[in-house]
Amino acid sequence: MTELLELLAYPFVYRALIAGSLIAVCASVLGVILVLKHYSLIGHGLSEIGFASLSIASALGLPAMLVSTPAVIAASFVIMFVSQRFRTAGDIAIAVASSAALALGVLVSSLTGQTGAMNSWLFGSVLAVSQTDMIFAVLLSLAVMGVFVMLYNRLFLITYNDDYARSLGINTAMYQLIISVLTALVVVMGIRITGTLLISGIIILPAVTARRIAHSFISLVIVSGIVALVSFVLGLGLSFMINLPAGAGVILVNTILLILVRVIL
Amino acid sequence: MTERLNLSHAVIKYGEIRAIDDVSLTVSAGEFVFITGANGSGKSTLTKGIAGLLPLASGTITRTKRMSYVPQIEEADRNFPARVSEIVLTGTQGQGGFFYSIADKRRALRSMEELGIRNLAKSEICTLSGGQLRRVFLARALCGEPELLLLDEPCAGLDASSHKLLFSVLDRVRAGGCAVIMVTHDASDLEGIKADRVITLSHGRILE
Repeated sequence: MTELLELLAYPFVYRALIAGSLIAVCASVLGVILVLKHYSLIGHGLSEIGFASLSIASALGLPAMLVSTPAVIAASFVIMFVSQRFRTAGDIAIAVASSAALALGVLVSSLTGQTGAMNSWLFGSVLAVSQTDMIFAVLLSLAVMGVFVMLYNRLFLITYNDDYARSLGINTAMYQLIISVLTALVVVMGIRITGTLLISGIIILPAVTARRIAHSFISLVIVSGIVALVSFVLGLGLSFMINLPAGAGVILVNTILLILVRVIL
Repeated sequence: MTERLNLSHAVIKYGEIRAIDDVSLTVSAGEFVFITGANGSGKSTLTKGIAGLLPLASGTITRTKRMSYVPQIEEADRNFPARVSEIVLTGTQGQGGFFYSIADKRRALRSMEELGIRNLAKSEICTLSGGQLRRVFLARALCGEPELLLLDEPCAGLDASSHKLLFSVLDRVRAGGCAVIMVTHDASDLEGIKADRVITLSHGRILE
């Protein structure tokens, strides 16, 4: 325990702890909407598109965030649109886009000799969290929380029944876009810590765990955020203790909590 | 008389199929219109078109903004984590604000009271029967104090007493100036209330 506390003296550790905790909480809050709307695979699809865009940005010598952020936001629009417009085709679109993007990312990384960087993008690295990332994570979490507080009643209705909201004259597409942009930003930020392969876990797992405990939308959002925070802190500690990649530690703790909740309740 | 709905030469298509074919309909304040027809005649498609859920391939629609729609089948997750009062309150969201006012909450209570579900306000929707859930959706529709109420097969799943209650509520709202369009495939539903007009649909067209 003392050793873990001593680790906080290292700037990269507290940066990872602060940025990671905030991103995990944001991801879990958005995850509630995605799980209830049956869009659970979106995070997975977006993360692999993020991976492809990171590979291309790196190959071209461009700033990673500058390329991957708009690419993932654009992809989230397309996936949400296809999922809504052609309900059954949504899963197919995600599967096609994610596998094609993963293949493209691997291809570009291999051809340009960036297999070392590829490993960090796939599995994440706490060392990758810079001061700027931490500031961005704070701003992102403020945006997510702000949207949830201001638009809570609308998000509740749209998540429950999009059609009914439209019949009331509510512009549901606009709210979907807001959710898409926030999800894309969380994915782009989260990739740096948990990696492409595990980011969808921090979006989905806390909401699935909370679903067993919470019986109203608001309590689901709160419990999901708490589960995400606890899982991130414990997972990060675990990853330092047994020398695991941070993402793996966080997802492992999330999965254990989910199993415990399923067994006990 | 104030018009609540004006549908002119409406066509709604599923691919190349004209599910609604050149339908015109005008409904005024306080009017009660029954739309009937066999399965597949286009009743639900027409209500979805009026509710703004399906686009018109051609024709025009003008309707009041204060419209409440009760669909035949709610396209929502029965296990959604929500309480009855939360669902009923959503009926007020057509009026613009992001937060519920005290007046909104009072209206929700009144609607639940009127439909006999006040005691279920704190119940989770996943614990309700089909009939109770229909009352919840009706209470939600009334909560928005609509000028046009659009009901798609509202009697389905209701027992005799709920049926009677529904018609007394509809009588009350039309007396207040709300136009009511009720879609039903069951002719016996017409016995409970005095309709101003009965329209029969067949193959997407109004039978003269």
